[in-house]
Amino acid sequence: MNQYLLALLQALKSEFFISIRSFSSKLILLAPALLVLLRYSLVKISESGEQIRDSISGSPSFEDAIAINAWGYFVDGLGTGITMLGLVLIAMAAYSFSYERDTGSLRHLLIRRFSRMQLIIAKLLHLHLLAALSILLLLATAYFASGLFWEFAAVSEDGFELISEQEIREEIALGLSLALVPIPAAIAFGLFISVASHSATQAVSTSLGISIAIDVFKSMLGDYALYIYASYLPSLLDQSYLQDVSRLVRGYSDVLIDERAQQLNMLVPLPSLLLFLAAALLLVRKRNL
Amino acid sequence: MQTIKKVSFMGSSQHDVALSVSGLNKSYGDFKVIKDLELEIARGSIHGIVGLNGSGKTTTLECLLGLKEYNSGKVSLLGNAPADLHRAKGKIVAIFDTPSLPPNLSLRHCLQHASLLCDKPVRTPQQAEALLGLEAFSDFKIKHLSLGNKRRASIAHALLGQPELILLDEPFNGLDAGGVDDVLALISKLNQQEGTTFLLSSHQLPYLEQICSHIAVLHHGAIAVNDSISNLLENKEQSVLVRCKDKVALLTALEGMNQVQYLRTDDDGLHHITIGSKTSAELNKALVEKQLPIDELIVQRASVASMFRNITSGDSE
Repeated sequence: MNQYLLALLQALKSEFFISIRSFSSKLILLAPALLVLLRYSLVKISESGEQIRDSISGSPSFEDAIAINAWGYFVDGLGTGITMLGLVLIAMAAYSFSYERDTGSLRHLLIRRFSRMQLIIAKLLHLHLLAALSILLLLATAYFASGLFWEFAAVSEDGFELISEQEIREEIALGLSLALVPIPAAIAFGLFISVASHSATQAVSTSLGISIAIDVFKSMLGDYALYIYASYLPSLLDQSYLQDVSRLVRGYSDVLIDERAQQLNMLVPLPSLLLFLAAALLLVRKRNL
Repeated sequence: MQTIKKVSFMGSSQHDVALSVSGLNKSYGDFKVIKDLELEIARGSIHGIVGLNGSGKTTTLECLLGLKEYNSGKVSLLGNAPADLHRAKGKIVAIFDTPSLPPNLSLRHCLQHASLLCDKPVRTPQQAEALLGLEAFSDFKIKHLSLGNKRRASIAHALLGQPELILLDEPFNGLDAGGVDDVLALISKLNQQEGTTFLLSSHQLPYLEQICSHIAVLHHGAIAVNDSISNLLENKEQSVLVRCKDKVALLTALEGMNQVQYLRTDDDGLHHITIGSKTSAELNKALVEKQLPIDELIVQRASVASMFRNITSGDSE
């Protein structure tokens, strides 16, 4: 067992050796944070234009009252960043094994040092660590950038505090945790496709194609969508709770997440992760490389 | 050109066997690529596998290395099954016909990465580069190296540890004459100084004949011949190629000559004749005495190449 763990650690080290020298890892790490910065810049430019227009016309809009609260922008930024991160992670997971098989470099790893199972687990852990770093960077970027452009405050109307900052933080923490729970399942899905496909191109296009198809068709699935891990991942057609939190902290809505949906959000991704991982580990044992 | 010294066949006790294959079968659907393949390679030997394109050389290596599943058979490399080669911790390495290295890493990074795969690296990446004459290309990405240098890089990649068994698939592809000599010398040096066992799969017969202690001929998925080169050539009958316009007269003249046998006529119009223990001068004299004009008489030296051609053209020795 000790030998197995040592080899696994060595496999993880090998993954990181290549990863810190590759463009794709930098993409996972930086793309969500950079996208958020871009989003904030565009919103700020747009708001500045609207303020100039309103000051010329002399009719301040309702938006002005809530536009200055940074919490809403912070949550929007997280949603955008995690959407990007989810897609990049699925693509990278799909690319990781299949690309090394295409180039043949996987063969040296298997012959000299690691079992197939150790390699898959090392890739899974490596992508999780990259995702964790990326999320930390995203959180820091979104928090400081939204604080720089706008002001963090409680939601108030006519001097009356509707939602305190403490409550806002709690709702954001809940929305964020619900949005992050499906990410391991998304990584495992990408890895499974990577092992199952015949080439890196096929793996990336299939994994992204299926993910986007689920996103498009989940609204037609009704309650069945609640049993698909991808329904809870912030996405292009977002149904995650993080989107509700964004409305909530702007004072638009006081509708909280349905308890059943919240439970399924926490429960569904874990079996999905185990299912995809088991399928990948089973398949990789039989795969011609 | 450096002189390559061949090693002699070692003993046959179980722990002296580096690689053993018994009853290996592999099919793609109904097509049998490998049929009951039997092979044993002694530690310290340099064993060559030759075969025509599509004879199953690469598939055999891939099955031995656990990269492809096989239908039946027993395979052991330094006591490890193909699926467990990683347990040998770098004592078994392979160099493939296509450079299987991460294309976006620089050569130096690629070798540093390979060091992570060795239990105890015996060479630094710099030393491995120097060994293969790659110092000038340290910072080049693998994808920007020439085919020959990619192959050198693959060999350097394999030599950071102290492998006991190296399997090479078409090791001479893409190398110029100097490169081939360097690789042959390196194989010989590792074999003699470190006792490394080699299995070389190639269709470059002259190179294999130069370096290998043993040759196995893979034909239609099975081992047709497997022995030491000296044994293979020892009992080989000498043959000559004769150019003669009158084939009927030639065949008539050969009739009744002891040990002399007509084999075939090739596309160039040369008649292939085995002469047993006779000399070519004796044959020439006999034909002249029968007043048969001979335009050309070429003595064919016994070689692995001629033996291979005879096997693969359907003739048996």
